[in-house]
Amino acid sequence: MATTNASLRRWLFALPPVEFLLQQLRETVIGALRCGPIPEHVAFVMDGNRRWARRSKVETVEGHNMGFEALARILEVCYKSGVRVVTIYAFSIENFKRSRYEVDGLMDMAKTKLVQLSQHGELLDRYGACVKILGDKSLMREDVQEQMERAVEMTKHNDSAVLNVCFPYTGREEICHSVQETVREFSKPEPSQRPPLKRPFSETHIQRNILSRQLPAVAEEDQTTPPLKDTHSSSDNDSASMSEHDLDSSTLHPASSQTSHSTSPVLKPTQTKRSASLPDPETITSETITKHTYTPDAPPLDLLVRTSGVHRLSDFMLWQCHENTEIRFLECLWPEFDLWNFLPVLLEWQWRQKKIIEQGRGGGLKTA
Amino acid sequence: MVGLRQSHAFHTDTTRQGQQLSPSERERLLKPYLPREPNQSRTSNPKSNGPFHHRQRVRPAMRHLIHSLLFSIIHIVFSTLIRIRQIYHALLDRAFAVLYYHHRTPELIHRDVKNLSRIPKHLSVILDLPPEGGKKDALETLLNDACELAAWSASAGVPMLSIYERTGILKSSLPHLHRRISRTLISYYGATSPSKPTISLRSPNLPSYSPPHTPELTNGTNGTHTADSPHHLTILLLDATDGRQTIVDLTKTLAEMSQHGKLSPSDISQELIDAEISESVMGEPDLLILFGDRVVLEGYPPWQVRLTEIFYAQDNNAGVGYQVFLRALYKYAKAEFRLGR
Repeated sequence: MATTNASLRRWLFALPPVEFLLQQLRETVIGALRCGPIPEHVAFVMDGNRRWARRSKVETVEGHNMGFEALARILEVCYKSGVRVVTIYAFSIENFKRSRYEVDGLMDMAKTKLVQLSQHGELLDRYGACVKILGDKSLMREDVQEQMERAVEMTKHNDSAVLNVCFPYTGREEICHSVQETVREFSKPEPSQRPPLKRPFSETHIQRNILSRQLPAVAEEDQTTPPLKDTHSSSDNDSASMSEHDLDSSTLHPASSQTSHSTSPVLKPTQTKRSASLPDPETITSETITKHTYTPDAPPLDLLVRTSGVHRLSDFMLWQCHENTEIRFLECLWPEFDLWNFLPVLLEWQWRQKKIIEQGRGGGLKTA
Repeated sequence: MVGLRQSHAFHTDTTRQGQQLSPSERERLLKPYLPREPNQSRTSNPKSNGPFHHRQRVRPAMRHLIHSLLFSIIHIVFSTLIRIRQIYHALLDRAFAVLYYHHRTPELIHRDVKNLSRIPKHLSVILDLPPEGGKKDALETLLNDACELAAWSASAGVPMLSIYERTGILKSSLPHLHRRISRTLISYYGATSPSKPTISLRSPNLPSYSPPHTPELTNGTNGTHTADSPHHLTILLLDATDGRQTIVDLTKTLAEMSQHGKLSPSDISQELIDAEISESVMGEPDLLILFGDRVVLEGYPPWQVRLTEIFYAQDNNAGVGYQVFLRALYKYAKAEFRLGR
């Protein structure tokens, strides 16, 4: 009975006029949605593929395939309605613990889809979407990595929309990674190492300038000492280069002993420089860490949707979603997810947004 | 969305005749479903530069009109639907509130949770400072809610309760809150009951007022600390600085250590961060209850919520209620919550 029903329905939806009308309806609804506020950044946890496969008695990999189709549908809705960034949780690091067969199947699927994607690069350009892969890529199989690189490379010139695919990802790994990167940045001496991030003026250079002006009478050989001392401070953490520095200082000492009067004013500033050349850890803020997450330039996450009725974040977007993100848990399974499930979520979001704006206006009037 | 025929073709990567699809054929299949080309390419078309170049004006305007009309209609319908849903939930909540009430009796609460297969070891709640009313009223409501929650958790057998409040006003009135909670527990258990739970109240960044002081105080007030060892409840007060700021502080310390060569950045692992953060703030809560009408974490510690079960009652505008608390526990134990005990 159920199968005849399903096949009847399939036949009905495949009729050209019905198909055309459905298509028109979708387009119109999406067009209508565009008239209101639209979230800039939406994230999806694509949960329920396996359960769906179990329920409809097909193979797990087939469930993932259907999940991918649902993703394509929803991406179309998102980009057509004006969402700028979509982040999807495709694969968690924890998922490596699943059966080898399933993991391999998922990898193969990812590869196929990525190959298809790179074959149709110009189609993606129509949406102006670029693909970014978030996560610890080194955990992936090499052939998949290659395809990921290719897809990212092919689409990187597009800037009107972004698709973030969290491939081997967990939120904790991301936080850990960005903490690590921040520490790395702050334990590197500032000058000339990272020109695009920092100002064009280096502190050591200015200090040197001041010094040379303070000591105009000092001979030229002294002016060479501060930069050498400077390399000492920069390679301070590097035990390998310590011997080099020792060599330097040993060659230096005779020179400084020759002009003994100038050593003390030179040595003193180098000691203060030792800490100054490294950035002050107190300047670390949450923005610094955000800058090192996988989504440094994405707009704040407005909406996070999780399907299949599980009310957890499961280690997704922890850093991004714990502030003002609205989190929605839906009962439907991911392969069933479509415009018609997503529409109420978007509408409610718009409705709330309108209310917030009204409240803000009301509040503004009250205070005025 | 592509039609069923096309999606079938994509799915199997073959045409109906069973031939392999080539990339160009795939593109041909998709063509009618794609959005129009971006405008730039059309303006560069040399034909359209003539003086009699026709541009569509009416049709886009009509389309826009239809869309905004439809938008208004959808929203009118939808907001009525939301209102109906809100009314439905409000009625349901009322019904639950009448059916399940604690009557300030620990035995009743105990009976409500008796059949649950598991009780969260660490329960966490997010409380909001009510925006309306004066600051004093708001604080009063907040203190009241915190006290009630403490009493319910103690009665339900939850060993650890963490209360998150964004602004930190609760944290700053910690001694006062402790007195209030003791008083509430007395009203639940009676002043001299041997089963009256002991509490300890602490907060991550305020080490001054913490466990060594509190057991004395509870012992002093009831004086009947028997060998029966009553239930002990640890209450943890959190605010926005225990979220991101903790991670930032940890990063600062790590950066400093790295600058002094005491650690290399590659030594930083999830285990290290986890150990540090769980020690300085808290471990992972098992269940997080939100008393608002939607799920927004408001700066709740991000590191810890990773696997926490999040519960909220849809359209709950009544604030902190016993029935919401109980429903969360039922949900956590995967038990069905029904009308009628």
